Amino acid sequence: MCKKMTDRHHTDETTMAYINLYAVLGALENLVQVDEEAKALIQNKKISVGFSVAGGPSASLCFDHGNCTLKNGVEGCDIKLPFSGVKKFNGMIDGTVTPIPSRGFTKIKFLLKDFTKLTDILTRYLRASEQDLEDPEFFEKSTALMFYTIVSAISQIGNHDSISRASASYMQDGIIRVAVAGGPVASICVKNHWLVTVKKAPKHPDASMEFGSMQIARALFDGKVNSLACVGTGDIRMSGMITMIDNMNRILDRVGLYLA
Amino acid sequence: MRTLNTYTKSREAFSRAAKVIPSGVYGHLGPAEGCFIPVDAFPLFGDRAKGSYLWDVDGNRFIDYMCAYGPNVLGYCDPDVDAAARAQMERGNCMTSPSTKMIDFAELLVDTVHSADWAFFAKNGNDVTTLAVMTARAYTYKKKIVFFKGYYHGVSPWTQKIDYAGILEEDVCNNLYVDWNDYEGLERVFEENKDEIAAVISQPYMHGNFADNEMPAEGFWQKVRKLCTEKDAVLIIDDVRAGFRMDIAGSDHYFGFEADLICFCKALANGYNVSALCGKDFLKNTVSSISYTGSYWMSAVPFAAGIACIEKMKKLDIANLLNAKGTKVKESLIAAAQKFGFDLHVTGMPSLFYLRIADDPTLALHQEWIAECVKRGIFFTNHHNHFLNASLTDEDIAETAAVAEEAFEIVRKRHPL
Repeated sequence: MCKKMTDRHHTDETTMAYINLYAVLGALENLVQVDEEAKALIQNKKISVGFSVAGGPSASLCFDHGNCTLKNGVEGCDIKLPFSGVKKFNGMIDGTVTPIPSRGFTKIKFLLKDFTKLTDILTRYLRASEQDLEDPEFFEKSTALMFYTIVSAISQIGNHDSISRASASYMQDGIIRVAVAGGPVASICVKNHWLVTVKKAPKHPDASMEFGSMQIARALFDGKVNSLACVGTGDIRMSGMITMIDNMNRILDRVGLYLA
Repeated sequence: MRTLNTYTKSREAFSRAAKVIPSGVYGHLGPAEGCFIPVDAFPLFGDRAKGSYLWDVDGNRFIDYMCAYGPNVLGYCDPDVDAAARAQMERGNCMTSPSTKMIDFAELLVDTVHSADWAFFAKNGNDVTTLAVMTARAYTYKKKIVFFKGYYHGVSPWTQKIDYAGILEEDVCNNLYVDWNDYEGLERVFEENKDEIAAVISQPYMHGNFADNEMPAEGFWQKVRKLCTEKDAVLIIDDVRAGFRMDIAGSDHYFGFEADLICFCKALANGYNVSALCGKDFLKNTVSSISYTGSYWMSAVPFAAGIACIEKMKKLDIANLLNAKGTKVKESLIAAAQKFGFDLHVTGMPSLFYLRIADDPTLALHQEWIAECVKRGIFFTNHHNHFLNASLTDEDIAETAAVAEEAFEIVRKRHPL
C-alpha cells in the first residue's frame, strides 16, 4: 500500500487512522469505566457503531448497558459509518468531516447526541487543561486514559508506520508488560513482528517496563522528564528481555509525532 | 553472607548529573544503556581504580570485569604505561608539530599486527571504523556496505538504524544486512548488488549484546576473504572490542585470514585515549587522500602509553594470559551455577566472555543473579561481554567464585526448583 506522508516526520495518514480508531476511540472502553457522566450516557443503551475505512481500519464500538468494547470488523453493527479513505476518517476525528451512515439511520440520534458527548468528555481528559489537572482525581483518570491511548497507539504504529516497522522487525515473539505502579497496566503482545495491545496485565511477561508513579508517567507523557534519566533515578524500572523494551521505546518515541 | 553495598553518594551524584547532563550518565556507562537492572544494585559513579579494582564514590570496592568496557587490559594505573605517559607529558602532549612518538607507535603496530602495513591514529573506535568505510568507498568508488546482524561499529549515523533518534533514511540507505555465519546469504547480497558493494565490515566473531556470542563457522572467514577479493570489496575487521585479547597480531590472524583494514581502540593503550586504523599497503594512498583529522588525534601522551602497553602485552603474551585467566573464571562460575541447579552459559573468548543463565528465556533470573553479584562487589554486567585484565589474580577469581555462589544461592531460594 502506498502511504501518503503527511509531514517531515514521515508520519502517514493510514497509521493515523489506525491510531484514531484503536487508540483514541478505543479509549472509550476505559472512559466509561472511570467517568460517571460517560457511563450514565450509555447506562441504558445497547448499540454498536461501526467504522469502515477504505484502505484502513475497520472496527466497531459496542455499547452495552454501561460498558464499551472495541471489536474488529463492522459485521452486524447498528450504525455503520463508511469512509472513502483514511484521510476522511481522520477528518471526522479532527472535526472537519461529517460522516454519513450507510446503515442505522433510525439510530442516528445516538451518534449525534450521546456519542458526540462521549468523545467530548474523552477529549477533556486527553487534552486536559492545567486547571483540570489540579484536581487529583481528574489527574489520575486523565493519566490513566493517556496511558491506555499511548500503549494502544504503540501497537498501531509498530504495525503500520514505515519507520517503526523496522523496530518491530527486530522484536522477538513475547509479551511486554507496561505499567504504572499502583495504576493502569497493559500487555503488548508480539508475534511474528506484529503487535497487539491488550489492556490488562499479562500472566507471564517476557519483559516489563514500569513507571514509578502516576506523576512520573504524566511527566513522561507530557515530555517534561527524560526517560533515560528516569531509568537512572529508578523512576522507570525495566526487567526481562530488554531488547523488546528497547525496540518498543523506539516506537514509543514516535507516538508523540502522531498524537501531539 | 557478605555485607551488601549501598550507594547513597552515587544517587546524590546522579541527581546532580541529571540536572546538567542529558540522561545523567549517557551511553554505555550509564544505567539505561548499561542495563543496570535493577538500578539500585549498581554504582553510578567511580572514585578511583587500581589493578582489577574499581572503588565507587561510596567507597565500595569491586572486582571489575568490565575494565572500563575494554580499555583496562593490563590493570588500572599500570605502572609501566603510566610512567611512559608521565615522561611524555613532561616533554609535551598536544603540540603544533606531532611528536616522533607517533612514528614509533606506527612502526610498532606495523611490526605487531599481521595485516598492517601502516597505521592511522584517532581517538575512538568510531573514528576509525568510519575512516575504514570512507576508505573503502574512496578506493572502490562504490557505496554499499555489508553488515552482519547483531553488529556494533560505533555511533556515527552510518552505524545506526533507521528507527534510531536523529537518523535519516539517507544515513543508512546503503547498508545491507546479512545473518552472522550465513556465507550463502552474503554471496546472495553480492549477487543482488553487483558492482555496488564497497566493503564488508565485521567483528572477528559475533560478540553482539543480548545473545550468546558465536564463533565463525569453520572456513567462514576464508570464504568471505576470497569473495571480497573476487568482488573488489574491502574487508574491514572491527577489532575495537576483541583486539589484542584474542591475538596480539590481530583477530584476523587468530582466524587465519588477512583483513584489508583493521580497527583498534580499547586495549591499545590501557585507558589512554587513542585508536588506530591499520591496513594493507594498497589502501595507504587512498587514506592519504581523505580529509580526516581531529584536534587531539596526534597528542603524544597516548602514543607513549600505547607503545608501553603493546610492549608489555607482548612480553606478557597477553592473549594466552587473559584466556587462561578467563577460562578459570568461566569454569568457576559454571561450577557455582551447577551447585544450585542453574545452567550458566559462558560464550565467546574466555578473555572477553559473555554470561547468560539459560534456565529462563526472559533473562529475568540472569538479571537477578547479576544484581546480587554487583551488590556484593563483583562488577558484572547483564547483557554485554566482559573483559579480563592482566592484573586479575587467582585470589580475585576465588573471591569472584565465592560471591557468584552466594548470589546463586540467594536466587535459588527465591526460585526453588
